[in-house]
Amino acid sequence: METAIESPIAAVPEELEAPPLTPRELVWRRFRRHKMAVAGVFMLILLLLYSVAGAFVFPESYANLTETGARLQPPSAAHPFGTDTVGRDILARTIYGGQISLLIGLFAVVVEVIVGVLIGAIAGYYGGWIDSVLMRFTEAMFNVPQIFLLLVMARFFAGKIPTVQFLGRTFSGSVIVIILIIGMTSWMYLARIVRANFLSLKEREFVLAAHTTGTTNLAIIFQHILPNSMAPIIVAATLGVASAILSEAYISFLGLGVQPPTATWGNMLDGAYNYIESAPWLWAFPGMLIVLTVLSINFVGDGLRDALDPRTLAQ
Amino acid sequence: MTRYIIRRILQAIPLLFIISLILFLLMRSTGDPLAMMGGRRATRPEDRERLARQLGLDKPLYVQYLYWLIGNDWTKIDMDGDGVAETPGDRRGVVRGEFGTSMVSRGRPVLEMIWERLPNTLILMIPAEVIIILFSLAIGVYSALRQYSFVDHLVTALSFVGYSMPIFFIALVSMYIFAVNFKRWGLPYLPTVGMFDPQVGKTTGQVLLHMVLPILSMSVISIAGYSRYVRSQMLEVIGEDYIRTARAKGLPRRMVITGHALKNAALPLVTIVGLDIPLLLGGAVVTESIFAWPGMGRLFIDHVSRADTPVVMGILMLISVAVVVSQLVTDIVYAWLDPRIRYT
Amino acid sequence: MRKHSLYPLLALVAIVAVLFTACGPAATEAPAEPPAEEAEEAPAEEPAEEPTEAPAPTEAPAPTEAPPAERKVATFAWTQEPDSLNPYYTNMWFSSITQQLWSCWAWEYDDQNAPFPKLVTEIPSMENGGVSEDGLVVTMHLRDDIIWSDGTPITSADFVFTHDMVMAESNVVSTQYPHDALESIEAPDDLTVVMTFAEPFAPWQATFWKGILPKHVLEPVFEAEGSIEAAEWNRAPAVGCGPFVFAEWESGSFMRFVKNENYWLGEPNLDEIFFQFVPDDASQTAALVAGDADLGTFPPLSDVPTLQDAGLEIVTQNSGYSEGWYFNFREDTAAPGALDVRVRQAVAMALDREAITQDLLLGLTEPAVTFWDSLPAYVSPDIEPWTYDPEAAGQLLDEAGWTDTDGDGIREDADSNDLVLVHGTTIREIRQDAQAVAQQQLREVGIDLQILSFDSDLYFASYADGSPAALGENDIMEWSDAPYFPDPDTDYWLCSQIPDDENPWGYNYFGCDETLDELFQRQLVTVDAQERTEIFHEISKYMHDQVYWLGMWLDPDYWAVGPRLTGVKFSGVTPFYNIIEWDLQ
Repeated sequence: METAIESPIAAVPEELEAPPLTPRELVWRRFRRHKMAVAGVFMLILLLLYSVAGAFVFPESYANLTETGARLQPPSAAHPFGTDTVGRDILARTIYGGQISLLIGLFAVVVEVIVGVLIGAIAGYYGGWIDSVLMRFTEAMFNVPQIFLLLVMARFFAGKIPTVQFLGRTFSGSVIVIILIIGMTSWMYLARIVRANFLSLKEREFVLAAHTTGTTNLAIIFQHILPNSMAPIIVAATLGVASAILSEAYISFLGLGVQPPTATWGNMLDGAYNYIESAPWLWAFPGMLIVLTVLSINFVGDGLRDALDPRTLAQ
Repeated sequence: MTRYIIRRILQAIPLLFIISLILFLLMRSTGDPLAMMGGRRATRPEDRERLARQLGLDKPLYVQYLYWLIGNDWTKIDMDGDGVAETPGDRRGVVRGEFGTSMVSRGRPVLEMIWERLPNTLILMIPAEVIIILFSLAIGVYSALRQYSFVDHLVTALSFVGYSMPIFFIALVSMYIFAVNFKRWGLPYLPTVGMFDPQVGKTTGQVLLHMVLPILSMSVISIAGYSRYVRSQMLEVIGEDYIRTARAKGLPRRMVITGHALKNAALPLVTIVGLDIPLLLGGAVVTESIFAWPGMGRLFIDHVSRADTPVVMGILMLISVAVVVSQLVTDIVYAWLDPRIRYT
Repeated sequence: MRKHSLYPLLALVAIVAVLFTACGPAATEAPAEPPAEEAEEAPAEEPAEEPTEAPAPTEAPAPTEAPPAERKVATFAWTQEPDSLNPYYTNMWFSSITQQLWSCWAWEYDDQNAPFPKLVTEIPSMENGGVSEDGLVVTMHLRDDIIWSDGTPITSADFVFTHDMVMAESNVVSTQYPHDALESIEAPDDLTVVMTFAEPFAPWQATFWKGILPKHVLEPVFEAEGSIEAAEWNRAPAVGCGPFVFAEWESGSFMRFVKNENYWLGEPNLDEIFFQFVPDDASQTAALVAGDADLGTFPPLSDVPTLQDAGLEIVTQNSGYSEGWYFNFREDTAAPGALDVRVRQAVAMALDREAITQDLLLGLTEPAVTFWDSLPAYVSPDIEPWTYDPEAAGQLLDEAGWTDTDGDGIREDADSNDLVLVHGTTIREIRQDAQAVAQQQLREVGIDLQILSFDSDLYFASYADGSPAALGENDIMEWSDAPYFPDPDTDYWLCSQIPDDENPWGYNYFGCDETLDELFQRQLVTVDAQERTEIFHEISKYMHDQVYWLGMWLDPDYWAVGPRLTGVKFSGVTPFYNIIEWDLQ
């Protein structure tokens, strides 16, 4: 299943006429061939639209409007997704919850990438005792299962960060806290990959050339080596978003994440298992949304991984 | 090989130190165990001052860490508040095997509390691990052998879905199907709370019955992930030359698969499975909360929220040691199984 | 080359796992059982027979009647597992309320929260000479028929021992209050205890002797180990003095108490009380509805209709707590509005607390008037509760100089500062709902209520830890609290308790009012009941008129009682005071 060369005779004229594909186009072509990955992209766009456009349909106050008389109502015309334990409309809450969950996923990955790349790059480039210390630190963090780190760090930061205004919404400090702690407990894997990449790339000729022309170390790291190791970073970052969304769901489920009344998909599931019999719509909708999102991201990440596979790119 | 093992163990020791230091600093900075000691009202200043002194919380952080690590029976502490340290300490420290006593359940040795709950968590984790291995292998091999068939596509799709679900969602769904709906349809249904029905007692049958749903929840994600891995490994191996040779030699298909392909494909699974321990432990925390299983994960959550440093540190250190040991064991087993690997 | 097959390894792992699961339960029984058994063996060395070994859970007691009657086991659903059963090592409500089952207090409280003697012949007072004229000496006479569950008599030595254990430095008890008020305690004979105070201590009756420690069991431990901190008895108090005796505690799962054959007041109707630890409120509701549990605590309000439909009765019992708005009148931190008594009074009249209680609390409780509503004797009869009167509120605000000059709906003062009050509370759902309603109602009279909510760990932390309440950042603070019930004493408004850098642990977040401070200090040393009551009348009226504390609703204990239980009464102080009369149909 290689590129479009069916028969050498028929294809030759085309080949002679068309310009060679740039690496980016090549990646895109290969990505497109991954049907599931493309489906994933569509799904993600839909979900994004759901969260963003949905905000124009329902105002945020509606998502937090409690109506104890209308609690625990099954899906109906007035409330397509039903109502929760204090009468809030679940559809509206999944919309606004989606905004927060996606935001958290995205920003947590930003934190993760920044920390992971910095540590991995410095460790891989400088080597020696810096590498040793950083890698020991990385291993130490890596060895403690993430959820335990999350629990301890959630308590560490609890309540220390005030509310923040962003894009017209007020976010409680706990959102920032969650972003930070998820980011700071998942960078280890990326650091390792980046370090491995740097270790192998720093011996190449283009780095030596850069040295001889007097480029500073910082410039070498960020302008020369890093762009060449983007592939695994991109894949890890993409899959990291999925993992961050799941982590947020976990901590919120344990009650330590974003606190109500701000909705996130995760904290809507908190306590919902108590109503498993009487009100399955409480957990079915946010749960499904999480699964769909994570699934799509996983597909996309899978597709990216294949598309960016350096073994075949180098050909 | 022995030198390799020794070297790894020696490397593990400073690693564990660093872990303990980081975690201790985090724990001591999170929350105030004394605040909760007043019960429904605020702790009185006199009690707070006395308790801080008696529990050693008024000492600087590095001293607290030191006492935690190597005990304080080599020094004296001031128990009665007169400013003069006169009582010899009674803690031997972690390096001598004593993890201190809980601040919340006053006076109870940490190890005793952990030991009480640890077997319950292991009862979940070990069978889960076995099920994960068996099912991943079975599904992965089956999928690989029938590549691109309908079953293969179905399995791949299901694996993706299973892999994308948070563990508590799986727990919820399985609860909904096997407990709630089975009950509704009159079928024998599975219990969802606790380790056994207290009216019946803690019999093996009860425990096994209660184990089903938690273990199911814990295994699904890993099975989904690993079966795909086994499948891709199998596919790679099947394409290898030696398989072709074996086939050409006329070996029966079954022998080719099990005797040659499977063994080679399953090898990397050993590493993955060994590294799965942290994941299982993490999964256990959430699962135990949902199913009210009296295990170590719930102990951790209860005591983290009350800032009970000795118990939390005890659990975390135990986990870290387990992870480090499992990594070492995995490497060794892998080397033993794969003759191509030689560690210096 | 060696051939390594994966299969033997897998098979081995599988076999080990199966073995483990088979042995698992047995292995966990071993560590769980011995503590109960050991504790029961040790005191069983006494000549009196130990009535309960740790039996298999469903074993019937040794039957002497021809047809063994079915055992009456009541199941209580507990949403929190006690951390310790020793009354001096725990402050968990779920632990201390079990005291009436297996332990004994000098006097206990009935469903009117009035004390009645238990271990003593009569409650000491000035009339019967139990309390000296100057209030410094309290003499207690013990009954002569009181015995521990192993047959040993309870004597004054046990009281002295309890005091010694609380005050011993090596026992890291949660609090030494109120024992640190005692100058000395003596036991001139087996049935008399003499307590001498350094200064008159008015709350002595409501605070002392909430649980007696058995000297014959714990003294050997104290002497051997230097502390009773690690005593078996704390986790497995097999020797007690209540109608039931501790039988078993399986960590994380359940706790059992069986009938005490040696109880001096007779035998209880129930044979066993089984505490099931459930993970949360909804499991408790599920267990109650299914009939698996007979008693539950604090059911969520949203579940109350479900429970009532299932035949359960929701019983409320005042235990001193009420939810209220604490006004900040500290001059350095409060908003100008909060410092003005007329503004506070206007707030009191602008809130429709009746409606809030009806809507949000399903009418299960009522608005609170003073901090001492559950001790009505101490509330001044001259108080006129604030009624919902937004017009009067508006007029009062006009008088105080707050008028809406710029037409934005919020009043301003002469310098054009908006009338803003910052309201802080925790994130509990019902508080958030109440905040929203209050904000709406106050807006109607032109007050801008800014609502904040905080994690309770942070909010109830101290000044040193940056609690917003402690730092004075809120003008109104809301939470549920009580005096030292059943004593009316409270130290929340003492000027000495205001936190600052020298005194970071103080908990007077509200302010210093000299008159109030003097009154509170005086009541603490007024032992004469009549005089003390009058001081509290003054206090309650003053605080009401000054609106230092605005009651939102009474916060009683909520019990969900199953249909099978009969004879059930509750007390706010000692909830299970009549457990001996409870029965199962």
